[in-house]
Amino acid sequence: MTRLSFSVGVAALFVIATAQAAELPESIKQAGTLRLTVNSTYAPMEYRDPTTNQLVGLDIDLANELAKRLGVKIVWSETPFAELIPSLQTKRADFIISGISDRGSRRETADFIDYLATGPQFFVLTENAAKSPIDLCGKKVGTTRSTSFPVEIEKWSKQNCEANGKPAVQYVPGENSIDVRNQLKQGRIDAAVQGSETLPYAQGQEAGKYRILGEPFSTGYQGIMFRKDDAALREVVTEHLAAMMADGSYKAILDKYGLGANAVAQPMMNASTQ
Amino acid sequence: MRAAPTLAEGFPDISEITVARQAHWGRWLAAAAILVVLAAIGRAFVNGQIEWTYVSRFLTAKVILEGITNTMVMAVLAMALGIVLGVVVAIMRLSSNPVLTSVAAGYTWLFRGTPLILQLLLWFNLALVFPTIGIPGLWSARAVDVMTPFLSALLGLGINQGAYTSEVMRAGMLSVDVGQYEAAQAIGMGRLRALRRIILPQAMRVVIPPLGNEFIGMVKATSLASVIQYPEVLHNAENIYYANSRVIELLIVAGSWYLLVVSILTPLQMLLERRFARGALQITR
Repeated sequence: MTRLSFSVGVAALFVIATAQAAELPESIKQAGTLRLTVNSTYAPMEYRDPTTNQLVGLDIDLANELAKRLGVKIVWSETPFAELIPSLQTKRADFIISGISDRGSRRETADFIDYLATGPQFFVLTENAAKSPIDLCGKKVGTTRSTSFPVEIEKWSKQNCEANGKPAVQYVPGENSIDVRNQLKQGRIDAAVQGSETLPYAQGQEAGKYRILGEPFSTGYQGIMFRKDDAALREVVTEHLAAMMADGSYKAILDKYGLGANAVAQPMMNASTQ
Repeated sequence: MRAAPTLAEGFPDISEITVARQAHWGRWLAAAAILVVLAAIGRAFVNGQIEWTYVSRFLTAKVILEGITNTMVMAVLAMALGIVLGVVVAIMRLSSNPVLTSVAAGYTWLFRGTPLILQLLLWFNLALVFPTIGIPGLWSARAVDVMTPFLSALLGLGINQGAYTSEVMRAGMLSVDVGQYEAAQAIGMGRLRALRRIILPQAMRVVIPPLGNEFIGMVKATSLASVIQYPEVLHNAENIYYANSRVIELLIVAGSWYLLVVSILTPLQMLLERRFARGALQITR
């Protein structure tokens, strides 16, 4: 009798606890799967392991940990970076976690839950004469054309080169990070720009090849992108992400990729000022 | 007034009987069904999530017009390179010199054997293998200054096209009757002169339709050069939607330009065919 009342009491407590917690949308719960789409050209955020051809990376680990806590399986698919946002709109993906920067211009159709501090950063080949970013005025700088970086470079050039009477940076488009680094090695461009979170990995892959110039020249966040009308899913993911940040599992994943310094204290919604 | 033909004995006169028209119910049904489907598709596009104002605004945007110009410049130049290479390689293939025939066969094998996009990427990244390009003692330059997106695309598309065109040309030359070769030889013409004055002009008539086909393919193949940053129309349309996220609208813009160009090319091919068919039987289609 006491045992029965005790378990009823525990059950009641449990109901109260989950009533406050956000719920997975019915369709995802029914299917038991989360459909996620990534652009796997952005090591160490998401890339194909060269030996096993498995999808790996910081975003992949975070998503897998989230899925474990949500009690669903992930069905992964891949797409060019430029098609990530359309994939979210057409519901090919339930949300986007793929090294994508939270930017005002992208919030027309989506909301961001920011989870990683990042910013574009200049780098050159080690033998390049440039000492600091300002030496890049008038030089050719390449970056992936489907990202927000071309606009960032232009803005930086206006503030730092043209404002001081120096020639503007010449932007050269590339197809993805790998293509941009290839252009750098061939001398097509003098310097390149990638998200600061990807540079330690690139340097580790090709020891002594690249040198980073200065600090990230604008600060922002990478965010998980949700459809505007998908508040339920957004809330439940945010809740679990906050729990991961609190219990140290988030930090462990970042440290695994040497990006502990890019950690944020808690998930923030649309926090980037860019 | 001709006299009416007299009927043979024992046959009824059926000249006055009206023939009943057959009712083609199946045809009517099929046509109706197709029209309904087309109307539904049209309606879906009108009511779909397409901001047509963006389509009309960007259809004549400067960057799109530059893009379609670059597309056409590249298609014409690459096709010209392909035809020159194709003719030379076809002549080599039909030569009696084993070195020439095997080099020609090897060229076709190599450039038909790998995907076009792979070849474009190879040309574009050539500097990873050869940092400098040049003629020993005369001239040399950094490979990347030579291998601009424009030249990488031209070489990739043109040389690949040459491999296909050589087969078209060879077929055209084989289609000229062997008696023509013998007649040219009989009046003392050398092989190359006979090719130039007797064989190729007759072969042209045969190769125009497949070449027109190949050129229409080339116009669209230039879009692959977007990955090596040649600013053709698809590349520029992509750049716009990377910035404003109007994916479908900009794809419709680029698609409309391709359709327009191909629609203009078709009658041009007809005119060319007429020109090369002078003196031959006027074969109407």
